[in-house]
Amino acid sequence: MKILTRERLVGLAFLAPTLILFAVFVVYPIVYNVQASTLDWDGVNAGTFVGAGNYGELFQDPTFLITLRNSAFWIVLTIIPQALIGFLLAVALNQGLRGSTIYRAIFFIPAILSPVVVGIVWQRILDPFNGVLTSLGKAAGLEFLGGNYLTDPKTAIFAVIFVNVWMWTGFSMLFYLAGLQLIEPSLVEAARIDGANGFQTMVRITFPLLKTTTLSLVLLGIIGSLKTFELVYVLTQGGPNHASEMLPTFAFLEAFQLQNVGYASTISVVLLVIAVVSSLSMVRVFGAGFITGDEK
Amino acid sequence: MTETRTLIVPDSRRRRAYRSHGAPGRRVGWLHIVLVPLAVLWLIPIIMVVGLSLMPPNNPTTQFFGMFPQEFSIRNYLTIWEQNPILLHLLNSLLITVPSVVLVCLLGSMAAFALARLRVPLKALIFGILILALILPMSSIVVATFRILQSMQLYNNILGLVLVYTALGLPFAVIIIRTSYLAIPLETYEAARLDGANAWQIFWRIYLPLGKPALAVVAVWQTMMSWNDFLLPLVTLGDNELKPLTLVPLAYRGMYLSQPGALFAILVLISVPVVLLFIFIQKYLVNGLSGAIK
Repeated sequence: MKILTRERLVGLAFLAPTLILFAVFVVYPIVYNVQASTLDWDGVNAGTFVGAGNYGELFQDPTFLITLRNSAFWIVLTIIPQALIGFLLAVALNQGLRGSTIYRAIFFIPAILSPVVVGIVWQRILDPFNGVLTSLGKAAGLEFLGGNYLTDPKTAIFAVIFVNVWMWTGFSMLFYLAGLQLIEPSLVEAARIDGANGFQTMVRITFPLLKTTTLSLVLLGIIGSLKTFELVYVLTQGGPNHASEMLPTFAFLEAFQLQNVGYASTISVVLLVIAVVSSLSMVRVFGAGFITGDEK
Repeated sequence: MTETRTLIVPDSRRRRAYRSHGAPGRRVGWLHIVLVPLAVLWLIPIIMVVGLSLMPPNNPTTQFFGMFPQEFSIRNYLTIWEQNPILLHLLNSLLITVPSVVLVCLLGSMAAFALARLRVPLKALIFGILILALILPMSSIVVATFRILQSMQLYNNILGLVLVYTALGLPFAVIIIRTSYLAIPLETYEAARLDGANAWQIFWRIYLPLGKPALAVVAVWQTMMSWNDFLLPLVTLGDNELKPLTLVPLAYRGMYLSQPGALFAILVLISVPVVLLFIFIQKYLVNGLSGAIK
């Protein structure tokens, strides 16, 4: 018994720095948010307790509904194209093709750039007055390319999502490439000997074998979508008129520009609940193996 | 079993298995016809950043549909050098990034070792907090973080940023590193124990070195997060001389409206270090990831 206790102490000692940092910068901010979400508070003067009042207000706030709709668009329209293009690229680059390393680097580089860089250059590309797309559209006679994509409320969110897909597809590719390293070549060869062509092998053998990779990417995609702040902030600041607002930009706006810290905390709490519920339901349905690496 | 294989199979053999997908006799060269145009399209924004950074201030006309300047000049790089303390901002970015990468690698490996091999009370709770930290959006804790740093006297202090980035980077690091530690046969641990090694020696001499491929992934990820982020410095740093490079384009946005070339020169400076790191580390990246996921 005594040995066991000592062993546990050693284990805790290894974990201590991590746990302390989590307590200060993860657990405490959550508690703080929950507490602040019950206040009508500008962040400076003493707040007044309003109970669940902020939540009631939030659920009727039209901007909140827009952010929910945008998050749904974002999740579907980034995860599917990224997984699809990423998978196809990974399969193509796993064939021992000459120059694979260079292709891999080219497709991954957008993911390592700062959103500041990505945002500013895409603003320039999408600029309706002298942007690249406008000029290309004029030259090719495709006038629709010169649209006000970032400033038109109907298209703003889709333009941001498009840039996001460009940015992160290489990440999905790298995950799939890593997953492909774990597939027994004999499985693919057996399918070939049985007469499957390249396409059939890819769809029926390779893709199903990469199920855990896909699940990890879906989970990371959902979390990433809910967390999205930087790219939206640089490209549109959530505008025009909240049309491309996401929950994090909405919370930031309320906290730092409108000084509604209580309301901003409410948004953060709701965001966290949505993130936890969606991650937990994925873990519930598919098992936790794809996160923790344990056998199911 | 598969993940064990990828970790212990020598590199040369793994490479052969990798190549064997494209066995000789199967022609895959046609893929270039698809990949080359796609790669060029993919690169356009990046080439644009570099191209426009070379746009001379006195001749802002462009060619190729606005992708390149008419003439090229390195004037912008001199301008930003003269107008801002660029070296100082670069140093700030390094002072934020390097310590947080080192801390995340070290503390993350320690925590991963404990969770993979040692007896730890309340493991389920610890995993719960880990997942919570993984999904926690930075923007939703930024107000609270601001208050905490203030009360710790770390507001307007680079150390505060290092601690927050370390805390937020740890969950990903622990998950990735732990998976690679689980792939090391348990017998290794038991044998070392029997030889009288204590937990720290086993961790430092055996697990930490064997976890290098996973650490490559963690290092790139953490560098990206702490180098590229601008939200936290925007909120927690008041003094201009403490600001990292990523804040320069935002802080001086108005100034750069009239000097787009200089703005793009700064974007190049922000990007060069992370791109270089990626190029150096990229050959470990795929192997590291495949040891880390299943």
